[in-house]
Amino acid sequence: MIRAVFLTALAVVFFFVIWVYNPFVHKEKYEVPQQYLKMATDVSYAKEGKQLFEQNCQACHSIRYDGVYIASVQANPNLKTLQEKYGKVLPRNVYESVFQSDLIGLKESFGKVPPDLSTMYLVKGPEYLFAFTLEPQKVLPGTSMPAVMAGRPEETAKIVAYLKSVAEPSPEEKNKRTLMGVSVIAYLVVMGILLWLWRGRVLKRMGLH
Amino acid sequence: MLGRIGRWIDERAHLSELWQSQMVDYKVPKNLTFPYAFGIMAIVAFVIQIVSGIFLTMYYQPNVHTAFDSANYTIMKEVPFMWLIRHVHAAGANFFLAIVYLHIFTGIYYNAYKKPRELTWIVGWLIYFVLLVTALTGYLLPWGQLSYWGMVVTAEIPTSIDSAPLIGKFKIGETISIWMKGGYEIGQITLGRFFGLHIWLLPLILLLLVSIHLYLVRAAGISSPDGKEIDKKKEGVPFHPYITLKEGAYLMGYLAVFFFFVFFHMSHFLPPDNYDPADPFKTPAHIAPEWYLLAYYTVFRSIPDKFLGFVAFNLILVLLLILPFLDFSPLRSARNRPLFFVMYVVLVISSMALTILGVMPPTPTNAMLGLIFTAGLFAFFLALPVISVLEWGWYKAKGGERR
Ligand code: HEC
Ligand code: HEM
Repeated sequence: MIRAVFLTALAVVFFFVIWVYNPFVHKEKYEVPQQYLKMATDVSYAKEGKQLFEQNCQACHSIRYDGVYIASVQANPNLKTLQEKYGKVLPRNVYESVFQSDLIGLKESFGKVPPDLSTMYLVKGPEYLFAFTLEPQKVLPGTSMPAVMAGRPEETAKIVAYLKSVAEPSPEEKNKRTLMGVSVIAYLVVMGILLWLWRGRVLKRMGLH
Repeated sequence: MLGRIGRWIDERAHLSELWQSQMVDYKVPKNLTFPYAFGIMAIVAFVIQIVSGIFLTMYYQPNVHTAFDSANYTIMKEVPFMWLIRHVHAAGANFFLAIVYLHIFTGIYYNAYKKPRELTWIVGWLIYFVLLVTALTGYLLPWGQLSYWGMVVTAEIPTSIDSAPLIGKFKIGETISIWMKGGYEIGQITLGRFFGLHIWLLPLILLLLVSIHLYLVRAAGISSPDGKEIDKKKEGVPFHPYITLKEGAYLMGYLAVFFFFVFFHMSHFLPPDNYDPADPFKTPAHIAPEWYLLAYYTVFRSIPDKFLGFVAFNLILVLLLILPFLDFSPLRSARNRPLFFVMYVVLVISSMALTILGVMPPTPTNAMLGLIFTAGLFAFFLALPVISVLEWGWYKAKGGERR
């Protein structure tokens, strides 16, 4: 009994550490004032954020998963034709070959093509995105991204909220998923208990208890 | 009506006889403990991978330009409920491996690898090995930064053979590495091959191995937790309903935990860095293999000589394979073997520590700890023959006979 408890505890702690929270891994932390962090994670600012993105970032960055391409591509009439054929999100190889000259232009100015930001929120999280966009040099010394948002924390937070709205499912969708998850788990737990009770009765009838 | 159809089929297929002979007349020990359910959980995990995998293939595109978007846009955003399928498949792979590990450690604890079950153990080891390769090939498919760079690092590992004296000259390691990648670099050819392996060849091999494994389990009967073989004619309880209902209930609990992760905690199974598309020109800061390979990785990394490190981690796999022959003691089950139990705890703690060390930076202290726990791992295997000899002496002194 003591052995069983000991080994079970060991296994549970182990999987907790590797799957849920690992205290041995050091994660980079970025200080963000609470009020801005709240805005940056609130997707109701996404609409404003999108406009701000178009004004401040679209010259260099695309958000393909929202059908938003860099400004020079967006102005190109070819885009519409291609989107009629492939849908809102162009396949990457099509996008990169048709609009090669726009992308090469950016690459020549900045040393690399500024990354597409469709999934950036999932990769970096709100703290990093806010801190980096506001002060690129401070967070990533030597980066070629200019400090376009210097001194405009509130608008930066709204842009981050827009990036979140593109990367993550919408709040309604999230609620639906939570409901679904809770029902599935509840169903399984109830079935487990019922099976157990039924087993007790079957075994009693068979004289196996 | 349904009953009549059922009877019509049964008169011709004799399914109820099959059920009676295979499920009800099949007798197993009454005192099977919870860990015996890991076997059935592994089967369920396998079925979950196959079903979810089939759905994923319908939308996934094995092409370096579109793979990332097909996984992260088409599957995650465009097609209804495919996000769920992907969550299930990604979490399922991790749960499958976790269950297989638990199953292996259960087998070691109860000495279930002993005569007449050596072959069951060996086939089980093959399943484990093929499963690792399946998971490794699947992990490349979403074509994110972790997929790409994880494979770059993995394909580098065999090249450490080339730093060996004498055989290093033949460049065997480099050949293996090129063979793994399908060229000098990881690219379209690698992705295409891995896709083929991942969705057809390896799952089929697994299916075959799992079938053989189950047949062997049946042929030898189930071991018992206290190490005594039961006399099937006199003892034992019918597999159905005694075990089916018990393990069925455990299975529901397992699935509840599984779906908790699927719906509410995917950040480990679909890690943030893998939402970054693969970029051969941008090396990420931290590259570590998936958790199920970390123990081997730490062994490899802690030993200062590359070739020795390579030999060491492969030796662990080999020792695991020949475990039934290292342990020739007449006693069975850690319940009856105090010395074995102590070494078992050493094994468990060493494996866990090596896994956790794998994600930590390779500082000198960590390298030292890595070496200590590597020694612990080897100590378990090497202690087995010694313990066996001691136990034989003890067994004979108590009047036991060689069986
Ligand atoms: C003048 C061009 C330009 C503009 C405008 C611009 N960026 Fe960038 N951005 C870049 C370049 C170039 C990089 C690549 C920097 C690097 O990797 O060093 C980059 C990188 C990034 C990254 C990735 C950082 C990382 O760690 O990899 C993010 C996030 C980002 N930009 C957000 C934004 C946002 C938000 C805006 C609008 C407020 C914006 N950028 C406006 C050029 C630009
Ligand atoms: C047998 C055990 C299996 C294991 C352990 C396994 C493991 C994995 C893993 C770890 C991934 C990467 C998950 C991700 O990050 O998204 C993956 C992806 C994938 N697997 Fe499997 N898999 C198995 C079986 C199958 C089968 C049978 C099929 C198809 C019939 C399949 C089809 C796919 C596809 C299409 C992907 C790419 C989609 C994606 O990245 O989400 N898998 N698998």
